[in-house]
Amino acid sequence: MDRQSDAQRAARWRGRFLALLALILVPVFLLGIYLFQRFGGDTPVDYASAEEHFKYGSTGGEHEMGFPYWIWRALPQVCAEHLPGPGYESLGMIFEPGKDVPVGTSKRRYQGVDRVFLNCAVCHSSTVRTEKGKPPMVVTGMPANNFDIMKFQKFFFACAADPRFRKEYVMAEIDRLDANLDLLDRIVVYPVAIAIMRERVLTLAGRFDWINRQQEWGPGRVDTFNSAKVIFNFPMDNLPAQEMSAPADFPSIWNQKPRQGMNLHWDGNNSLVEERNKSAAFGTGTTPPTIDIERIKRVEDWLLEAKPPAFPFPVNAEQSAKGGALYKQYCAECHGASGSDFGGEYVGKVTPIAGIATDRRRLDSYTPELAVNQGTLYAGYPWRFTHFRKTFGYANMPLDGLWLRAPYLHNGSVPTLRDLLEPAEMRPKVFYRGNTLYDPARVGFVSNVAEEDGKLYFEFDTRIDGNTNVGHEGKAYGTELSADDKSALVEFLKTF
Amino acid sequence: MAARYESGRTAGAFMVFLLLLLLVGAVGAYVAWDRGFREHPQPDWVRATPEMRFKYGSLGAENDAGIPYWIFYVLPRMFPEKLPGPGGYAALGVPWEQGQELPVGFTKKTIGFPRVANNCAVCHTATYRAKPDEAPIFVVASPGHTTNVEGFFRFLIDCAKDPRFNADNLMSEINLVTKLDVIDKLLYRFFVIPITKKRLIEREAQFAWIYRKDFPDWGRGRDDAMNLTKYFMVKQPMDDTFGPTDMPSIWNLQKYRADQGMFMNFAGDSHDAYSVIIDSALGLLGAPPAHKQEFLDEVAWLHEYLTKLPAPKYPFPIDAAQAEIGKEVFAKNCATCHASARTGTPIPLAEIGTDRNRLDSWNKNAAVIANKVVTDMGIQRKGLVEATLDGYIAAFLDGIWLRAPYLHNGSVPSLRDLLEPAASRPTTFYRGYDVYDPVKVGFVTEGAEAERLGSKLDVGQKANGNQGHEFGTSLSASEKDALVEYLKTL
Repeated sequence: MDRQSDAQRAARWRGRFLALLALILVPVFLLGIYLFQRFGGDTPVDYASAEEHFKYGSTGGEHEMGFPYWIWRALPQVCAEHLPGPGYESLGMIFEPGKDVPVGTSKRRYQGVDRVFLNCAVCHSSTVRTEKGKPPMVVTGMPANNFDIMKFQKFFFACAADPRFRKEYVMAEIDRLDANLDLLDRIVVYPVAIAIMRERVLTLAGRFDWINRQQEWGPGRVDTFNSAKVIFNFPMDNLPAQEMSAPADFPSIWNQKPRQGMNLHWDGNNSLVEERNKSAAFGTGTTPPTIDIERIKRVEDWLLEAKPPAFPFPVNAEQSAKGGALYKQYCAECHGASGSDFGGEYVGKVTPIAGIATDRRRLDSYTPELAVNQGTLYAGYPWRFTHFRKTFGYANMPLDGLWLRAPYLHNGSVPTLRDLLEPAEMRPKVFYRGNTLYDPARVGFVSNVAEEDGKLYFEFDTRIDGNTNVGHEGKAYGTELSADDKSALVEFLKTF
Repeated sequence: MAARYESGRTAGAFMVFLLLLLLVGAVGAYVAWDRGFREHPQPDWVRATPEMRFKYGSLGAENDAGIPYWIFYVLPRMFPEKLPGPGGYAALGVPWEQGQELPVGFTKKTIGFPRVANNCAVCHTATYRAKPDEAPIFVVASPGHTTNVEGFFRFLIDCAKDPRFNADNLMSEINLVTKLDVIDKLLYRFFVIPITKKRLIEREAQFAWIYRKDFPDWGRGRDDAMNLTKYFMVKQPMDDTFGPTDMPSIWNLQKYRADQGMFMNFAGDSHDAYSVIIDSALGLLGAPPAHKQEFLDEVAWLHEYLTKLPAPKYPFPIDAAQAEIGKEVFAKNCATCHASARTGTPIPLAEIGTDRNRLDSWNKNAAVIANKVVTDMGIQRKGLVEATLDGYIAAFLDGIWLRAPYLHNGSVPSLRDLLEPAASRPTTFYRGYDVYDPVKVGFVTEGAEAERLGSKLDVGQKANGNQGHEFGTSLSASEKDALVEYLKTL
């Protein structure tokens, strides 16, 4: 053999080898590109208008907590008996025409799966009916008076523990929704997602087991700071009884700009709006590494200026003027000059519990141990929490959009403004929450109807610990005014 | 010709390969140094004031005793059942200022990666409140009467021993709270976590006596200081002694005049304040200092700061007339030991009669060895007293109001109780609750909250005896009240 044929042979083999290599590498490479495109992205669904972004935009919570879209859609059917009625509507979530998910949920495609989770609007948007039979209007930024977050949690916990939470049942329901999932989704992605979601929700159910030993919060309320203890995995069963059972109303969140620096939250435990916002965002499933800072900022900016809608019924100008004088005398120092002017010596400051004397559960649920632990949140980031403080009373709130913030007091224990002006003894002991029909005379939602068109409203019992309607009473609080004066004061408060 | 060319090419390729290898090696070494060992100074705010420096300034303990920050961060979330109660590290009663990332006495320093260690302030910062509905006031250089040191030691060891303490679990918990880059992730997974686990488990043997069932817990505000020294610095085998004592106040150190025959520590175990600071700081380091001069500079600063720092004034009203009467009572009954040449010098146990376990927990031989260990590090100090000790030091009483509970072992809750005969003093009470009792002068030691947060001290248990110091116990009730009123002024 001469050298040339050796070289030729070598070249031929080299050619064959390269062809074989290409044959293997090219598909692997193409598959890599496909998989990267299929599973690599992180794309939230965005909305052009700021208000739509508030209602449906992402906080980043889907990264860690997101429910795969089709599972989210299928669960109300898979686990129908764990819901009070058909669909998420039965938990008080709001569906707008043309939307496939309710107000307060966002969508994001992450790791190749479309995911759904909560955003700020779920607890801070609701509907109001001005007349029976008229369609409700959606109001953003008001307390989510009808959303029952405890039932929402319990639904997912119960469903994840249900034997039907497996691919055979869930996939069948997904098919009935005409999801048209592709083969990869059907045989790999969704079965795996169902298993992962079950594990995660059950882990969370374990950490939230304590809610099963609390009274029903009812719609519009949450035990905020016992929930916050779950972030640190405090052993909840070892907490002293006085810390537990502390549900409080969702607040309205308009006009954040003039609130900067005030003692925020019911007990005034934080004075920095951005920190309070990021703290609340834990409730939407965010973690420090996965929060969507840019999109949270967009919500934040919008809330700085967001305004409540005006009272939609007539206001008696003469009565209101008379009430205005009383307001100035009795209320303005603590609650601000008006619904838009928050000036006042004690506005946004904490009144010691002995003075305000309202139910102290919510105050006691926030502990020094929790406050110092919150100082570790967002460690390593420039916005590490530095403003949480244990307080010893409740903060005096500005009253913008007051008419939409019924029921009143931090624990929502007094149905209307007119009731709040009565001494605690005279306030309703039991009433119904969750009605969207407005009562312009007493200023609040209709609270004496137990059932309407088959819908049962939540019976709120003020005799339960954490629900008491005491406090905010006495001469200084206006409960000793004449009936006429009280009516005038209520008339004036309609203008807020 | 061709062969030479070939070999030349091979040599060239080899050189290139070698250079590449060197380059990779150099980059690797740089990354290892940068992420594993490179020291960064603490941020400026730490030394913004002397008080901040005392509370959060590093002594250099992060080198050997440091816990990697993210491990420290997630442990209470992963193992809450190993803490004395709910609340993360707060359940250990550590003084913790709201809004701070770490409790007082915990230092954060980056040596390659952020690490957490301790300084003096963890045992020498007190909090007190006038009433439960009030934020606590922090006083540095005070006895850390709320801190459960033993609970902290046990927590770290117990976590490390748990099979769930592994890279998978820790990393998934860490990924929930921060975004580490690839290098840090690998570093944590393959080096930091396994090494930390190993080092913490190694501590178990050294800390064997804190797990002994026949010894009570130290409880909040106490540590078995001489045994810590004996087992860690001197490395003597475990014996049956047990002598936990209150954390002392460390303000106004200038009062300890070594030149006038005064000694420091409860039994007069050490010659002077400088020695005590060195030895305590070395205890926190758990090893010879990595940077000796920096360490000595920081010790010198502490010595200077604590020498002149005055005791805190009593913050509640004092009945001046009563105090005036009490002053007379004090002069007649107390001054011979507590305001005289005897102050700061040892009183024989036979005379004082208090619990002797603390005295028995130390010995001359240990002192000799400890002094040699420190000298061998190249550190000069007068050091520990190489003698057999037989009494306790007559204490200076500056800031005595904040130094409850009383006696060296903290076995008497209040000054007023101390003025009762031993038989009439409380036999069980709760230590480490920070609401103040201005009537009895001490902290509140009973009631639901004291019981929930505090640790129970039973005077019948080993080293907890509340006998002795039965001085002034036969005074009339009104004289005792007046005396207590006067003691508030010190």
